[in-house]
Amino acid sequence: MGAARALVLTGFGLNCDLETAYALEVAGARSERVHLNNLVAHDYRLNDFQIFVIGGGFSWGDDHGAGVIMAMRLKHRLQDEILDFVEGGGLVLGICNGFQVLVNVGLLPGFEPHELKREVAVIGNDCGNFRDQWVHLTVNPASPCIFTKGVEKIELPVRHGEGKFYAEPHVLQRLVSQEQVIVRYSRPDGTPADGEFPLNPNGSLDDIAGICDPGGRIAGLMPHPEAFN
Amino acid sequence: GPDEAAYTSRLFLLYDAPLDRSQMETVARQLLANDIIQQWHVYSRSEWDDRNGVGIIVPRVMLAHTPGVAEMPIPSDDALMKLSRERNLALNPQDIPVIRDYFLRPEVLASRREVGLSMPTDVELEAISQARSDHCNHNTFRGKFTYRDLPSNDVQVIDNLFKTCIEAPTLAIQKNKDWVISVLWDNAGAARFDDDYFYAITGETHNSPSNMEAYGGALTGIVGIYRDIMGTGKGARLIAGLYGYCVGPGDYAGPLKPHLHPRRLLDGVVEGVKDGGNKHGVPTPFGNLFFHSSYLGKCLVFVASLGIMPRQINGLPTDRKCPQPGDFIVMSGGRVGKDGIHGVTASSETYSEHTPAGHVQIGDPYTQKKMHDFLLEARDEGLISFITDNGGGGLSSSIGESAHFSGGAQVDLDKVPLKYEGLDVWEIWVSESQERMTVVVGQAHIDRFMELSRKHEVESTVIGRYESNGKLHLKYRGRTCAYLDLSLFSEDFPQWEFAADWRSPEDRGLHEPVLTEPEDYSALFHALLGSSNICSREWIQRQYDHEVQGGSVVKFLVGRERDIPNDAVVLRPLLERRRGLAVAQALNPVYSIIDSYHMVAATIDEAVRRLLAVGAKLDEIGGVDNFCWPSIQYDPIQNPDGCYKAAQLVRANWALRDVCLAYGIPLLSGKDSMYVDGHLPGEFGERHKISGLPTMQFTATGVVPDVLDAVTMDGKLPGDLVYVLGETANELGGSEYYDFLGYVGLNVPRLRTQAVLDLYKALESAIREGLVVSCRGVYRGGLAVHAALVAMGGLLGMNVDLTAVPLKSTSDSPISTKSVSRDDQILFSESCGRFLVTVDPSKRAQFEAHFGSLPHALVGELTAQPHFVVSGRGGRILLNEPIARLKISWKKMAADS
Repeated sequence: MGAARALVLTGFGLNCDLETAYALEVAGARSERVHLNNLVAHDYRLNDFQIFVIGGGFSWGDDHGAGVIMAMRLKHRLQDEILDFVEGGGLVLGICNGFQVLVNVGLLPGFEPHELKREVAVIGNDCGNFRDQWVHLTVNPASPCIFTKGVEKIELPVRHGEGKFYAEPHVLQRLVSQEQVIVRYSRPDGTPADGEFPLNPNGSLDDIAGICDPGGRIAGLMPHPEAFN
Repeated sequence: GPDEAAYTSRLFLLYDAPLDRSQMETVARQLLANDIIQQWHVYSRSEWDDRNGVGIIVPRVMLAHTPGVAEMPIPSDDALMKLSRERNLALNPQDIPVIRDYFLRPEVLASRREVGLSMPTDVELEAISQARSDHCNHNTFRGKFTYRDLPSNDVQVIDNLFKTCIEAPTLAIQKNKDWVISVLWDNAGAARFDDDYFYAITGETHNSPSNMEAYGGALTGIVGIYRDIMGTGKGARLIAGLYGYCVGPGDYAGPLKPHLHPRRLLDGVVEGVKDGGNKHGVPTPFGNLFFHSSYLGKCLVFVASLGIMPRQINGLPTDRKCPQPGDFIVMSGGRVGKDGIHGVTASSETYSEHTPAGHVQIGDPYTQKKMHDFLLEARDEGLISFITDNGGGGLSSSIGESAHFSGGAQVDLDKVPLKYEGLDVWEIWVSESQERMTVVVGQAHIDRFMELSRKHEVESTVIGRYESNGKLHLKYRGRTCAYLDLSLFSEDFPQWEFAADWRSPEDRGLHEPVLTEPEDYSALFHALLGSSNICSREWIQRQYDHEVQGGSVVKFLVGRERDIPNDAVVLRPLLERRRGLAVAQALNPVYSIIDSYHMVAATIDEAVRRLLAVGAKLDEIGGVDNFCWPSIQYDPIQNPDGCYKAAQLVRANWALRDVCLAYGIPLLSGKDSMYVDGHLPGEFGERHKISGLPTMQFTATGVVPDVLDAVTMDGKLPGDLVYVLGETANELGGSEYYDFLGYVGLNVPRLRTQAVLDLYKALESAIREGLVVSCRGVYRGGLAVHAALVAMGGLLGMNVDLTAVPLKSTSDSPISTKSVSRDDQILFSESCGRFLVTVDPSKRAQFEAHFGSLPHALVGELTAQPHFVVSGRGGRILLNEPIARLKISWKKMAADS
């Protein structure tokens, strides 16, 4: 079997595409940077790829809320393709702005497959400002997420102004009980950050830095794995 | 449709806030909204409409104005001067006769008649004003200086500082260094990164706009300097942005009333660069901040940026470009509005309440990021034959200047897309609306170019063509509104002339302070670490995405707790390659109170040492000079010390020339910004002129052949040996120590270029050979401050024995004020040419042999016990401070300086 093909989305203010494509190559994939409008125009088809990555950046300047417009475009112009792709076993990863997009699209947490419902939010940091810093992350070993398999702890940078993970208590509880939390902000020794700044850099509930769908094939997180290249 | 637009509003709910309406309005105006681009309303609970909220407010600009073109009679020089004043053209009185003479020539009149023109139009006068402004033309640096050394009265005439101190040395250096690719003509300079790629670099200031509107001014500054990189050669990809802020004291509580208090001004500029950089996807890895009361009059906002481009595209060199007659002139990106009208001419004048507020623009990094991605794709397909940005001067500058390459241009100004109707034709031509590039596309490529533009949802419009008829021909709805010979812009305009009178510091009455050695070094040191120009600036750097693009090898903040500023940063712009680019900046304006020559020399030396400290190659260092100077034109009432300031400028340029030649540094780019003066209201309705300190920021780049060799400043392991390289002299003039105690002094640090170069070469090879564990230059604050930072970085202790520190030998007697005789002098002297290096004890012999007879000495070691311990010359322990406490002192000012 040849290397997996990864599509890294570009355009409209997304900006981590070069290093995301590079990191995927380092990890063994063949990656291509593809502009959203090339995807919309069917110059490229998602189903020709195995991994779909929406990386970091400021899509549409985040002027209407982080990831909101990009989520609308994906829903209106590519919803069927994306659902087909997921159905067919494709992997979806959202990093930073991409995570915000997936949450707004409703692919995450994706409690009910095919029902694109927005159930969690990524909101303004408690510290009130954009922040670039490295964080300690602890991986949830019980999560079905395939992106974090084999990783226990990792250090990565966060670089965002809107990264506080928020959900209503019952949603949070469901995420936890279904092991959909994939990474949490922690102390260097791996114990939880317990909301303590700057270990938890944005005030995320339950120190949540990233989540996946119930099947573990769609995942999103605020920290930037591609920056550790 | 074309009239559709989206507007956004934001609702703030203030509850439990014991504020009355006028206080609420202050909060809204000063803290929440930006008056220049936003509207705000305050609603009380009783006024609030539960159903409709604020309702629908459409802040659409509608100008009830029919655009036109006016001809301007110029019966006399006085009439033109009056016109210049009324229209804010800022024409130089010396230029007036030349301009009039041109329009009155029979052959000019005849050729103008053919296109239906006689007297100059408003469009033409605005175009001339823009092209002749000091900002675009650098009339000051190209001026003639009569330099008198007083009291001896020795006179030297310097014809053109730019030519003699910048251009000539750089061209001479370029002859010997094949890595210097493109200098002195394009939007940015280009140098070789490796065999396949060039890097581009340039730097600018955005002082006047930032002083008026901090956020918008700084944002516009950073996105503007990005466009310079996007417009270098056939276009480069952005890889970094840099910042430098000089503002008044953050805690200023005196009687003067600056337009914005320094604290709010700083918050605004920090935020502007944050939005500009972060939303552009460009890392902001390095920057400077300097507080001084002289910047109350006008702040300085330095911005610089770097890019990378392939050496060739489709077999053609990427650094070269030329529009051909017949090529299309395309404007890409944003639309044109009234924003930024007269920005160029306003920054060429000192700031007052009458400066037109219209010259402040708000950048939109999102629109520009889209354009950046689009243009790179077009470049890689070979569609672009020429590109330049629309910044200061707008189309007038970009097309006016590029028309010289092809030999003419014709533009239909009614084709230029506008944000709203109602702009006068001249406004379309000189507007500085942001996010626009002028791109030149050949007829064979225009369709594909437009197709790509549509894909990226970037607006591109063909607005004209290049010609070869020697004319700048502007039309509006078919009628000619400007018809100028390109040769007009290279007419024999009179050179500006300046009298420059220099008096030595001694002659000006400067002397060393009468000051005994402090008894309580501990309290002094903690206070010094917390002083506004030494303390931590982590609060700024954390707001900037400094690692997007994934290529940060050495970040600005390093150490165990990632909180100590490193000497320089190292970028890896091509992820698949191990080659790196080191970048650093320096500025030392206080030294210019003593001698601006040494200010510049020390600043360049600092930038060079910063690069060497991370492992850059001395042989491949490029520089960017950014001068910010008060007005140097003498006026007995308005500028009585103008001749002295002019002499300071001459001396600064001499240092630039001398040090660049000695170190072999080509000036890849540079800019000058004059008129750093402000007129501030005082307590009693009087106005005070405040001139900024003569300042030069130097930005330097150096190639790091293998990033795995890069070194950081933080101490690494207990037991590592601490060495001082270079000699310490009694050079505390202008130092942080003297400044902190309220003195200037006399003994400014003097760079001895030939003496330090051997040491620098030895250090470079020592790092390459792995003999150095950490490396730190000694800069502002002196040995004590920088040694403490090395220890703080590693969260380790350090012992330092001052008796071992190599001193500059002097022929003067030991009691002379020129020799080092005290511990505080060793601790706080700011002599150039020095480093603090830690070395693995197992490599001690190898390290010492490597440096041989060069000035170096083992002064102490890193310790597991985290105390910073300094013993003085009498064996006395001067400092014994827990590292954690030093860190607290150094950080305590961070949030509120």
